[in-house]
Amino acid sequence: MFGDLLAPLYLQWLLDGFLLTLGLSALCCLLATLLGAPLAIARLAPSRYGSWPAQAFLTAFRNTPLLVQLFFWYFGVPALLPEALVFWLNSPHELAIGPLVLAWPSFEFLAGAWGLTLYTTAFVAEEFRAGIASVRPQQREAGLALGMTPGQVWRVVLLPQALRTAFAPLLGQYMNALKNSSLTMAIGLAELSYASRQVETETFKTFQAFGLATLLYIGTIALMEALGQVVQHSRRYRQGAA
Amino acid sequence: MDVSVILDNLDYLLLGPWPEGPLGGAALTLVLALCSALASALIGLVLGIALALSKGRWRLLLVGVLGFFRAIPVLMLVFWTYFLLPIVFHVDVPALATVVCALSLIGGAYLAHSVSAGILSLPEGQWHAARALGMRPWQVLRWVILPQALPIMLPSFLNQWVSLIKDTSLAYVIGVGELSFVATQVSNRVMVHPTEIFLFVALLYFVLCTSLDLAAGALARYGGGPRQAR
Repeated sequence: MFGDLLAPLYLQWLLDGFLLTLGLSALCCLLATLLGAPLAIARLAPSRYGSWPAQAFLTAFRNTPLLVQLFFWYFGVPALLPEALVFWLNSPHELAIGPLVLAWPSFEFLAGAWGLTLYTTAFVAEEFRAGIASVRPQQREAGLALGMTPGQVWRVVLLPQALRTAFAPLLGQYMNALKNSSLTMAIGLAELSYASRQVETETFKTFQAFGLATLLYIGTIALMEALGQVVQHSRRYRQGAA
Repeated sequence: MDVSVILDNLDYLLLGPWPEGPLGGAALTLVLALCSALASALIGLVLGIALALSKGRWRLLLVGVLGFFRAIPVLMLVFWTYFLLPIVFHVDVPALATVVCALSLIGGAYLAHSVSAGILSLPEGQWHAARALGMRPWQVLRWVILPQALPIMLPSFLNQWVSLIKDTSLAYVIGVGELSFVATQVSNRVMVHPTEIFLFVALLYFVLCTSLDLAAGALARYGGGPRQAR
């Protein structure tokens, strides 16, 4: 059952899967942060027309399983799109951004990244909102009374405090994104869980395949946790700069 | 949008092949969620009390074990239990039980920290006073500490159960016929209108989770009822 180690070929599969997991999660975390911050601000908007759509988005995406959302994006949406567009999305071509030429990713990757990004966005936005709400309203009023513009109040008074409060929960959401990226195997994206399953069916070395994948996941999470601790104990962080 | 595909398969989506075959669909999702919710609450309560009361080396060990279950993706743990449980117990464990096992271990690990935080949030004097009255430690826990700490923890239990409902969809990967699984079955069989099917399934999950979520919100607003510590 424990037997010997995996052949280099299978180690390569797992490593490829791990790199894809890392890339996918990093991309989704980045996009989710960029989308989540304005969403949190919209959610806190005083006008109902601003906050209501944001609230609806958050509730819808937080209260349905990521797996079903991925199925929806992967199976459901292509049925609605015009056929030519689906063909274009599926076919390999090159994406040229200036001198940089990128190969077009597979449709599995597009659907997985899109689904995971939106799901993570909803959770990230909620952590941002909680962070902003934790700053007392008097802080804002005091800032305005000192003659700052609303933009300045946001930049130098509200955000530094809000981000400091939100840092640990946000990191938790990034860890969740890494763990949730494993669900993209259900739509056929060859990330770490998919690779471990594939190695297992090929070699029957279940312990090695799942064990190595588990170690990689837990190691990455532990590393993120350690980095978070370093940041939270740094002098800059404790003195209030975010 | 064509709702006829939903209406035609409504029975199958809600109940699976039941009553001719085993229970499936949304009903099985509910059963899975209920079983794992109960088991995770039990595990969380026991480990949380242990975490709050233990010291030194034992506490470190417990934190490590809990950390493992909080760090592993649910999907990987489902794989592990699906593969390990039959080897450990030398019997054919149904896939259903392995999912409940994985979900309740992860839910329990998260809940243990809330339970421990709830217990530690009570002032030390509560323990001293009850001990001074001649109560045994477990009596203090049963009659003094838990009645005050449980209402504080209730919102985090409900939140954990919401993510538990969502995580039952992962039973799909080992072929348990719950809601997500029958949804893909129906979608593969009819070959048209996948959008309607998955939207409907999402709606079912949404109703389940939102009602629990609203309950959590209401409880948080009313501060856990009249038995709160003063």
